[in-house]
Amino acid sequence: MAEPLLVLDGVVKRYDDHTAVHKIDLEIAAGEFIALMGPSGCGKTTTLRMIAGLEAPSEGEIRLRGRRMNDVAPWERDTPLVWQSLALFPFMSVLKNVEFGLKMRNIPAAERTKKAMPWLERVGIAKYRDRKVDQLSGGERQRVALARALVTEPEILLLDEPLSALDAHLVIRMQAELKQLQQQLGITFCYVTHSQSEAFAMADRVAIMAEGRLQQVGPPREVYRAPANRFVAEFVGANNLLSGKVKSIAQGIVMVETAAGIMRARENPLLALLPGDAVTVVVSADRAVVSDSTADGENSLAGTVIGEQFVGAFVTLHLDLGDGSTFRAQLQQHALEPLGQVRGKRLSLRWKPEHTVLLKDK
Amino acid sequence: MSASGTTNTTRRSSLFAWALALPMPVWQTLFFVAALLFLVVMSFWSVQNFRVTPDFTFDNWAKIYSAGYFRVTYVRTVLYALLAATLASLIAFPCAYGLAFKASPLMRRIVVASLIMPYFTSYLVRANSWKILLTDQGVINSVLGTVGLGPLPMTSNLFAVMIGYLTLILPIVILLQYFSLANVDRRLIEAAHNLRCGRVRTVFQVIIPSARTGLILAATFAFILSFGDFVSPSFLGNNKPPTLSVLMVDAVKSGSQWPRAAVVALTMVATLLLVAFLAMNFAYGEKRKRS
Amino acid sequence: MKADRIISLAFKAYIWLALLFVFAPILTSFVFSFDANKFAAIPWGGFSTKWYAEAFGDPEVAKSLRNTVIVALSSSILATLIGFTAAYTDYRYDFFGKKVYLALAFIPPTIPVIILGVAMLVLLGRIGLSGQLHSVIIAHVVYSLPFAMALIRLRLSQMNKDLEAAAWNLGASQWRALKEIIIPFCLPAIFSALFLTMAVSFDEYAIAWFVSGFNETLPVRILILLQREVSPKVNAIGSLVFIVSMTLVMLAQIVFLMREPGSGKGKRI
Repeated sequence: MAEPLLVLDGVVKRYDDHTAVHKIDLEIAAGEFIALMGPSGCGKTTTLRMIAGLEAPSEGEIRLRGRRMNDVAPWERDTPLVWQSLALFPFMSVLKNVEFGLKMRNIPAAERTKKAMPWLERVGIAKYRDRKVDQLSGGERQRVALARALVTEPEILLLDEPLSALDAHLVIRMQAELKQLQQQLGITFCYVTHSQSEAFAMADRVAIMAEGRLQQVGPPREVYRAPANRFVAEFVGANNLLSGKVKSIAQGIVMVETAAGIMRARENPLLALLPGDAVTVVVSADRAVVSDSTADGENSLAGTVIGEQFVGAFVTLHLDLGDGSTFRAQLQQHALEPLGQVRGKRLSLRWKPEHTVLLKDK
Repeated sequence: MSASGTTNTTRRSSLFAWALALPMPVWQTLFFVAALLFLVVMSFWSVQNFRVTPDFTFDNWAKIYSAGYFRVTYVRTVLYALLAATLASLIAFPCAYGLAFKASPLMRRIVVASLIMPYFTSYLVRANSWKILLTDQGVINSVLGTVGLGPLPMTSNLFAVMIGYLTLILPIVILLQYFSLANVDRRLIEAAHNLRCGRVRTVFQVIIPSARTGLILAATFAFILSFGDFVSPSFLGNNKPPTLSVLMVDAVKSGSQWPRAAVVALTMVATLLLVAFLAMNFAYGEKRKRS
Repeated sequence: MKADRIISLAFKAYIWLALLFVFAPILTSFVFSFDANKFAAIPWGGFSTKWYAEAFGDPEVAKSLRNTVIVALSSSILATLIGFTAAYTDYRYDFFGKKVYLALAFIPPTIPVIILGVAMLVLLGRIGLSGQLHSVIIAHVVYSLPFAMALIRLRLSQMNKDLEAAAWNLGASQWRALKEIIIPFCLPAIFSALFLTMAVSFDEYAIAWFVSGFNETLPVRILILLQREVSPKVNAIGSLVFIVSMTLVMLAQIVFLMREPGSGKGKRI
């Protein structure tokens, strides 16, 4: 098998007083949209800066198309970055900003404009070509930054939280446009974000980082449905976590005893669970069925509704389980209608064993 | 040398770093540090047949330090500079306070801009103008004369010298005091008012202590500038009585007593270093103790 | 409250009084430069421009003015250039001994000019560089480069740190990024520094007095005139010096505060 476009091979980044990145191994294929995701300070931006050559790895190797990049200066790489601060050149016009990369490659002025204009048109800012960048709106500036990075037709585009400064409604639109652009161009996008929804909306694969380490890499669906560890399960958000102890394992079903009762889950042979092991039961918020009948049996809980959040056609209920913990359940609004006014009401929750994920505690 | 932006230490980027880092230290070492060091060397040389000759003698130091007029002049210069720094600090404070707490933003901007200007405009000519204003036939005495007063002696005396010093230092003292007062946390002042701390008490118990570093810095700067000033004692004080700078200029200009001038200059530098050190300790020392 | 208004007014009046003290000598110099009387006094002796004519007719004054212009132009260019490199170094790099590095730049203006003058005379005299215009230029660069450095450093601290890295990222070498990004961004401060260091050199009398020898600059000529005679000619020359240096300092302030669109601050949402 040919070497992937970009390989991070045991990459470590140490500073004087702390280690930002602990030994990362990651392969990024040509043409894929990968999101590096994690809370702030997890090392995702440092990793991106190492790919761009703005930081040198302390250990390990970064290879682009098989070529070792560790000692290649940033200006000798072709890894344009879309900055969180955008970093547009304030004293230049839109066109001059976009032409900058071409100018640095010593392309004659006339040809620069000829190459830059299609990009301005593509991102829809051709009519602002002679404006200064601070005369543009946030969304328009975003597009200048994108055009400026793409004008040299790189194989890989790095993006560092590029949408964090935009209004919420613009973010959704830009996400769709970015995804479409990536598919049309067929180049690799390496996208750093702390937002799960952003990563899941666009990426083919997500790489979740915490404290300088990779926690899980995989398609969004897989990360969502089968979090590799408690951190991922919590970070991915819409999950409910219950601590418990394995009671028995029989016929491919694991019985877990928790404070809220017995939970049943499909056995995962990879975990090699034994009775008595401490485990975390993960239930995705959209897997629980809510009803006003009383809770009974296994994989069932009861709680008092203490809050409702409406987003579009969905509603997230927050239920107080009585032991100090809360459970989130996400359902379609119309499914809530038969229940009437739910706030303060006691409801029951139920889910199937195959929708219960078990994580072995360390 | 390591770059904060990139830790790539290829040969080319270190050439870049050195090319930008070196001009300043090279220039300042060659022409400033070397000059001060050479001044030390020069203070041990001798003058033979009106020519400065390399030597190693403590003669200059001994002669100067044993001379009574030098010691008197030294004390006088220190006292003059202390008086000037005190006067300037006292006169400047209400001005800086008004700027920081009473003036409109527009007025603040105008006043600050106008106070920056004198620092860069000929002190020499300004001192001379004071002479025009202060002499017995000068403008101020003429005005006083019309109401039957005077003439008051206002040149060639301490008053004239102090006017000269203030011309030099007042604008900068006001500015430095203003910058430190402007940085005082407004919430502290409001808190003091809330606790029924009166206006005047607030100034002395809240504002001055919080701005103390800046206030001391301003006074120190005033001391340094007055201590080394030659124009005011020379033109407004008419060289009588002299200060150290007048002695030093005499040693260089009327005769080739460079080694003795070097001794005076070094004594002045040492004094200023000591004052700066003491002032900084006084300004920051207390703070460190408190935190 | 009424008392508050009175207090506030009193403070403002005091501030204007202080300004009057600062600007009285400058005004005096202007007023008496046009006084027909030889000895400045009240009443005024009538309007006359003869002192200006006399000042300009003096070949020594003309020569010293020419010297001053040469010195101010050369030393301001050198000081701004060196100040820029030092400001950039301070902005970008962290290294062992940085405090010493900064002290080297900023100590000279805190040392009395008269001492600097003697020290420079002694050194430059020994290495055969004294008594010429370039001696004054060398000394003025030492004294004025910290002003240039401070202004440019202030401007650099207003720059979005990512700008330079963004230029590298788009293929600009460090030299190229300096030329294409850093220098254009600092341009207002660079001009401001040029004007300010020019003003510093234009007014500097003490160091120049010691090291210029027979190649006097204008401030040195004024000093000599003041020591020699009482002549309103000095007021005429002084008024011109005031106008030139005030113009330079004002230009420095205006250029520095001028915000070309998108200087970056506050726009980083």
